[in-house]
Amino acid sequence: MSERDAGSVGSPIDQVRVLLEGTESQAAKAFEQAVATRSFGSVLARCGENAAALARIGSDLADLALRNLRLAGRADIVRLARQLHRTEDKLERVLQELEELRDELEARDRQPARASARGNGHGHGGDGRRRAQAAP
Amino acid sequence: MNVLERIARAPGNALEFSNIVLTTDDAVIGATPRDVVWTHRATTLYRYRSTQRRFPVPLLLVFALINRPDIFDLRPGGSLVEYLLEEGFDIFLLDWGAPGEEDCDMGIDDYVCDELHWAIRETLRAAKSDEVSLIGWCLGATVCAMYCGLDRRGGPAVPVRNLALLTMPIDGRDSTYAKWVGDPSFDIDGVAEHWHNIPGEAVDFANKMLKPVSNFFTTYRRLWENVEQGQVRREAYQSMAKWVANNPPFPGRAWTQWIEMMYRDGSLVNGHARLRGRRVDLRRIDQNVLVVTAGADHIAPLPGTMPFFDLIASRDVTHIARPGGHIGLIAGSAARKVIWPEMVDWLRERSER
Repeated sequence: MSERDAGSVGSPIDQVRVLLEGTESQAAKAFEQAVATRSFGSVLARCGENAAALARIGSDLADLALRNLRLAGRADIVRLARQLHRTEDKLERVLQELEELRDELEARDRQPARASARGNGHGHGGDGRRRAQAAP
Repeated sequence: MNVLERIARAPGNALEFSNIVLTTDDAVIGATPRDVVWTHRATTLYRYRSTQRRFPVPLLLVFALINRPDIFDLRPGGSLVEYLLEEGFDIFLLDWGAPGEEDCDMGIDDYVCDELHWAIRETLRAAKSDEVSLIGWCLGATVCAMYCGLDRRGGPAVPVRNLALLTMPIDGRDSTYAKWVGDPSFDIDGVAEHWHNIPGEAVDFANKMLKPVSNFFTTYRRLWENVEQGQVRREAYQSMAKWVANNPPFPGRAWTQWIEMMYRDGSLVNGHARLRGRRVDLRRIDQNVLVVTAGADHIAPLPGTMPFFDLIASRDVTHIARPGGHIGLIAGSAARKVIWPEMVDWLRERSER
């Protein structure tokens, strides 16, 4: 140990610090062992189940109160959002189909243009025009 | 520093310490300029702006469902995205978003078969490429592996050339999590039904409880010491603390499927996992594979990743095992010198046309 280290460990504050760090490291190991047991797991699981059940009861009560006031509750908004999601899902699939069809058409257009370019040597301009038309 | 000096400096240090903790939310994370390429429900695909794209195969970054993907782009000077852009890669980021209650019916199957599949499709279209490199991290890596192992039912092959999997859990049956949620008496379906989405705070609390003293006490003790010694790196601490505290909810259905697959029946490793009736068989993975594991990873411990190597069919498999934690290895202050160059070397060799 260097002179400086020996001096710093020797001061009362550093001695306390070393002691605290030792305690902290032992506590950390002990807690890690404790949480890695099945009994801790079952306590955590029961707490989770209870918290979830309480959240549900609270949410249901709040919804009931809002509905009796003829106001839209959380459940109503979630239902609407789900309907929107279903529409979005369908739109996404339609969009993908459209894009695939457009790609397919572009590829088909390109093939005869290339063939004619090979035939008469004037195909490049036509190909470019077709591509420009196909672009959105 | 003597006792009197310490006491004299204590009020100033306390002020600095509290200021760092209280202004954590002001830290700027995920600042690299990017554009939205595609959105669906809560999911967004971003493309980072770059003027020096050199490699034709784009990279798609995929993070876990339980944290924000900003960890890929934590802070200027400490951003993996920034580093990859400088190296000439075309970077896309898949952000799962923060699911609302209406998304509680989203399952792992939806994330793998729809969101990731469509994001890859959009990445290929935007980059005008036939293949993509996937970089998955944590649960995001497992999702990427599932995607590559999914039964195609005679359809086209997966357009993934390279698969980089960072600190990926694949079999958690021997982990501490399994002791918590693996017991069949824990009614996961009931919890998911009551809660709809598992609150991000609950997931974060559970993660922190794996190392309670380190997470709830040592972090702050170290910060205090750094303040006291005048060595505090405010931006580094605040950006990481802000990211750690931002936990989107875990959709209830995905959460129950995850627990079943990972901690109860181990169906991913025994080949029984099915998504929408299609079998997920990791033996179908034949891409170039890079697996990065961290020696002190308590979220995805090394023994939970190792079975992956015995399953996959890839001929080109690289395993980088380094000391470090689940997040710290890839996003810590030493990552820029230690792990990122190795990842880039691996990708560079496999990203040419």
